[in-house]
Amino acid sequence: MIEPLPPRPEPRRQWYRRLRDRLATLLITAGGVGVVVAVLAIGVFLALEVAPLFLGAEASVGWRELWQGRWQPGTLPGEAPAYGMLPLAWGTLKAAFWALLFAIPLALGAAIHSALYMPPRLRSRLKPTLEMMEAMPGVVVGFVAGLVLAPWVERHLAGALALALLLPAGMLLAGLAWTWLPPGLRRRLAPGWAGLWLMPWLALLAALSLWLSPALEALLFGGDLRHWLDARFGLDYAARNALIVGLAMGFAVIPGIYALAEDALTGVPASLGEGAQALGATRWQSLWRVVLPAAAPGVFSAVMIGAGRAVGETMIVLMASGNTALMTLSPLEGMRSMSATIAIELPEAVPGGVHYRLLFLAALALFAFTFLVNTLAELVRSRLRRRYRRLGAAS
Amino acid sequence: MSESEAMVYAVAAAHQRRAAGCDSPPGRRPPGALGRRLVRFGAALVMALLLPANLQAASDEVVGTLGAVGSDTLAGLMLRWGEALTERYPAVRLQLQASGSASAPTALIAGTTRLGPMSRAMSESERAAFTARHGYPPLELEVARDALAVIVHRHNPLESLTLAELDAIFSQNRRCGAERAISDWSQLGLASPTGRIVLHGRNVASGTHDLVRLHGLCGGRFRLNVNEHPGSAAVVAAVAAEPAAIGFAGLNHLTPSVRVIPRRDGESGELHPPGPTTVVSGDYPLARSLYLYVNRRPGEPLPGPERAFLELVLSPEGQSIVEELGFVSLPEALRQRQLDLLARGPEA
Repeated sequence: MIEPLPPRPEPRRQWYRRLRDRLATLLITAGGVGVVVAVLAIGVFLALEVAPLFLGAEASVGWRELWQGRWQPGTLPGEAPAYGMLPLAWGTLKAAFWALLFAIPLALGAAIHSALYMPPRLRSRLKPTLEMMEAMPGVVVGFVAGLVLAPWVERHLAGALALALLLPAGMLLAGLAWTWLPPGLRRRLAPGWAGLWLMPWLALLAALSLWLSPALEALLFGGDLRHWLDARFGLDYAARNALIVGLAMGFAVIPGIYALAEDALTGVPASLGEGAQALGATRWQSLWRVVLPAAAPGVFSAVMIGAGRAVGETMIVLMASGNTALMTLSPLEGMRSMSATIAIELPEAVPGGVHYRLLFLAALALFAFTFLVNTLAELVRSRLRRRYRRLGAAS
Repeated sequence: MSESEAMVYAVAAAHQRRAAGCDSPPGRRPPGALGRRLVRFGAALVMALLLPANLQAASDEVVGTLGAVGSDTLAGLMLRWGEALTERYPAVRLQLQASGSASAPTALIAGTTRLGPMSRAMSESERAAFTARHGYPPLELEVARDALAVIVHRHNPLESLTLAELDAIFSQNRRCGAERAISDWSQLGLASPTGRIVLHGRNVASGTHDLVRLHGLCGGRFRLNVNEHPGSAAVVAAVAAEPAAIGFAGLNHLTPSVRVIPRRDGESGELHPPGPTTVVSGDYPLARSLYLYVNRRPGEPLPGPERAFLELVLSPEGQSIVEELGFVSLPEALRQRQLDLLARGPEA
């Protein structure tokens, strides 16, 4: 039976409706344009604040001066300030490097596992948890890292390092042991639920490494690992160091990378992986040779966005890094990032002075970096979406 | 205005004058149109002169909101002074924006505030910019003193340090005359915190940082591995968490979890803990003055709220608040001099 068409609205109401549509479209467009204009305006504002440094008559900093290795903006009377931004740039990259080193394996591993192997029931629990992790304010993470984690790691350095070595090894060992299990037990311990049944094992390993580490430390390193590192390699240990920053900032970066990578992986048409397995590929082969290459641009852009966040993150570095303007690679020493420098020094800088403008130069550099990284990531992602559409159409 | 109208007007005016009892002598020509205009102009002038006087009278009463922009070191002190002011004059409130010492000159120059608390003296360029904008220098009042304490973990047995030792611990170039750098606790003859000394301090470009460089390191430079914290409270927290740490922080930020190290005189061996007496006598050099800068036009009285606030700050009550918050109050002679300065205005 065909339903009768609804009565045509009266002309007056139609006119009103069209007006409302137009208005809504206009508002939405204005919002979109406004956002773009705001982003551009930020860039222009930063550039305008920086420009007098190099162009104006009062230009007082040479390009070469910025490349020296010392940052000493505040000076006592009769002393020349040093405006080398190299240590700050170094600190930013070092913090981001250690954070990504910690975050990328964990986040990508979690994304692969949850996209391909995890039962939906568990995945629906995991995603909100990770989103909550992302919602955690940087100040809180930085506070915990600086005032709880850093002193703890300092007191239990050997234990913490043992933990870092033992946990991944323990997981591999568990994987190996699983293949030797009798089939009945293997069915009970499904790999999709490994996230749960591995927990007791990992907790046991953690307890073991913390309990054994003092004895090991006494046996191998003469009772004091820090002293041993110092005497043997000349490594200075600072309580607030790149390792702590890497851990804390990695924690903050993981959810972002995970969410995007997981999206990219679930977006791969199921037919691809299934097809590969039907042709005799193992799970690992279909993952490594088929699914991952198909999702690679998405995974790449996830990592890029994570890098952008790690470079721009302020509070965690500020509170957990010690802000020492050193230029070392050592993960056991601190660093000073550009964003933390801006946060600390801008309130004290004389507006319009060289120091003030240099802080804006640092801000401009950060802006440019995150802008480029995010744009690149977005371009790669849109290419990926087109590719999926083609693949989807072909199957 | 026609001739006849003007005539009528003049007659009416004469009637009024007569009624008011201030008649002009007969035969004198009544004031013409121009004269009347002059009279009215004069009246307007008198009113215009009286009006600001009225306003002045109104602002002499201590009523309204008092704005201040500047140092965060002084923020706690300013707020307590503000509370005490509101207790004295319930109609006044202090509105404080504590965004760093450097924000005070900016706001004073722009004229957005009349009070600028600063934890350092204004630099020459800031003073010059103020004078160029307003035509007179800012009034500088010293309102309190702040001492920095050298602190260690509460279980650290270290008893005292000489300035040279402090310099050898913190600086790169040892300008105070120490022979070699001290980087390990064993070099101070201590057995219990072992290993390297962990250094904590304030960030570059803070007043505290400059003060320690100037008076603690004899103008030398900090080592690069000093952990720089954005606030004194953060330094205290970091030192409290690490047995091998040493740092410096404002006296008003100390907690029981850190211990203050007194200065030992290199020659006499006397101990000088930071405090009012040692700061005033100059035996404890890690101290600085805290200032309030006032935009005050020479030859004009300050508006009521500002004047009341500054009088309170320099009164014995205001100075006891200074002591309460862990700062060092002004010695009596200096306090009187500041009051004089407030009464006289800035020297040209």
